[in-house]
Amino acid sequence: MIPLHVQAVSKTFHPPKRPKVEALKNVSLKLEAGKIHGLLGPNGAGKSTLIGMISGTLIPDVGSIEIFGVDILKQVRNAKMLMGVVPQEITVEMAFTVREVLYYFSGMYGVPVKERNPRIDAVLAELDLTDKAEERARNLSGGMKRRLMIAKAILHKPKFLILDEPTAGVDVALRQRIWQLVRRLNAEGTTILFTTHYLEEAEQLCDSITLINHGKVIREGNLKELQKEFAQNTIHFELFDTSVEHLPKVKAVGVEFEYPLVDLEADMHAITSHYNGNLKSIKSGAASLETIFLELTK
Amino acid sequence: MTYMWALYAREVKRFQKLWMDTVFSPIVSTVLYLSVFGIVAGGQMVGDVNYLLFIYTGLLAMNMVNSSFSNPTFALIIAKNTGSIMDLQLVPVQPWGIGIAYALAAVTRAFITIVIAVLFTGWFIPGLSLEHPLLLLLGMVLTGLEFGMLGVVFGMWSKGFESLTFMTTFIMQPMIFLAGVFYPIATLPAPWDTVSMFNPLHHNINLLRFAVTGYSDGNPWLSLAVVTVLGLMLFAGMHVSTARKIRSL
Repeated sequence: MIPLHVQAVSKTFHPPKRPKVEALKNVSLKLEAGKIHGLLGPNGAGKSTLIGMISGTLIPDVGSIEIFGVDILKQVRNAKMLMGVVPQEITVEMAFTVREVLYYFSGMYGVPVKERNPRIDAVLAELDLTDKAEERARNLSGGMKRRLMIAKAILHKPKFLILDEPTAGVDVALRQRIWQLVRRLNAEGTTILFTTHYLEEAEQLCDSITLINHGKVIREGNLKELQKEFAQNTIHFELFDTSVEHLPKVKAVGVEFEYPLVDLEADMHAITSHYNGNLKSIKSGAASLETIFLELTK
Repeated sequence: MTYMWALYAREVKRFQKLWMDTVFSPIVSTVLYLSVFGIVAGGQMVGDVNYLLFIYTGLLAMNMVNSSFSNPTFALIIAKNTGSIMDLQLVPVQPWGIGIAYALAAVTRAFITIVIAVLFTGWFIPGLSLEHPLLLLLGMVLTGLEFGMLGVVFGMWSKGFESLTFMTTFIMQPMIFLAGVFYPIATLPAPWDTVSMFNPLHHNINLLRFAVTGYSDGNPWLSLAVVTVLGLMLFAGMHVSTARKIRSL
């Protein structure tokens, strides 16, 4: 069964007194079961609109979306039960404690009363929030609120989990913890759709990616294959001092520099002799996702 | 159904956490109204009913209306302000289930408020009895649901607390004052007596007052029919509003 099958969806917004915005144009997407899939794109590319439609909070103008074969438009309740969603925005209930938030939210996903507290205890332990269980959710720090959002999404043990920039604004340790959790859930069979602005994160976690820009899918597929495709003719290097005069044909790509590869030995020699002691690192391997991203979205 | 009850339980828990504001403040206002009107007009009669009892039943009905309207309205506006309305967009609860959960929580709050108000104040009301207990129960459930659902519709559409101020000042307050809470509508000059008959709130108050005292401003069964039909219309309106707004908030 296909966890997510998006077929030719489009969405246009008509804000009052402003020009219409074509947020998505004929987007299709199919996810493989048991994999971690990255949805990447620059700001305003249409990722959040797509996530909104997949999670059932927005209605596409045309097209269809199925979660494990269940149509999100025709059987919205059944489809929603199969997935967990960690939205991008951190929102908390003002009046409730962490435990109460989780208790009632899991109830709305049909978790039986008897099972709720044991599940809450286990999830809080995994997310290192046990000692915050009886605290008001609004008093938590930003990172803790982010963990609470993740806890809400996984309590009902969904088969398909959507994480919309779950590591935005969190510290390194917490990011590692979230990665561990994502890997653990994936190892247990949960299919994961992951959006992030940290491309190294997508490289670390995702089996496949979809790049989206200006409301269209511009590339999708296995990450390794994409890297091979884009790495064929380039050498990547980093410099200590980036203000130096560069060789002709050198192009800045994020924090790295890129040089077109023709003859490995000659080109390596040209770079090492020109930059000499200023070279921090050099490689001719796979292109980074950042390179692919910048290349495709420029 | 479990899904909807979890939302209902959450909303009941919410007003329990703020019981001083949600339950006791309406009781204080009832006591204040009774004190003033008791001093000014105590001892007068409306038909066979003591004026203090007449106004007391009207005030309880008004509390029922206010409590059930404000419970979902405040909860939804706060949820919009904090962004936690997103929870309602994500969970697998049907729009009508979301609305009914909020409306039932509103009924629960209104019942608790009325019971506590009667326990605190009923002992000094002359001639307080219960003429039609089953009708009172039905009238309270219908009134609570009706204004709870109206609160859901308003909470879904309103942009913030400014809209709530507009609603209470320009719509709810005039409706309450023309509903016969403080006087029999037959004593109003034309055309206000006729206008009051078209005020839906008049029928809620008339029904509840009739159930307690046996006194009615017009046909109580007409009031029951109006309240029931309005309840059904509001259910449809609530379902449509919730379905529409939950996906566009």
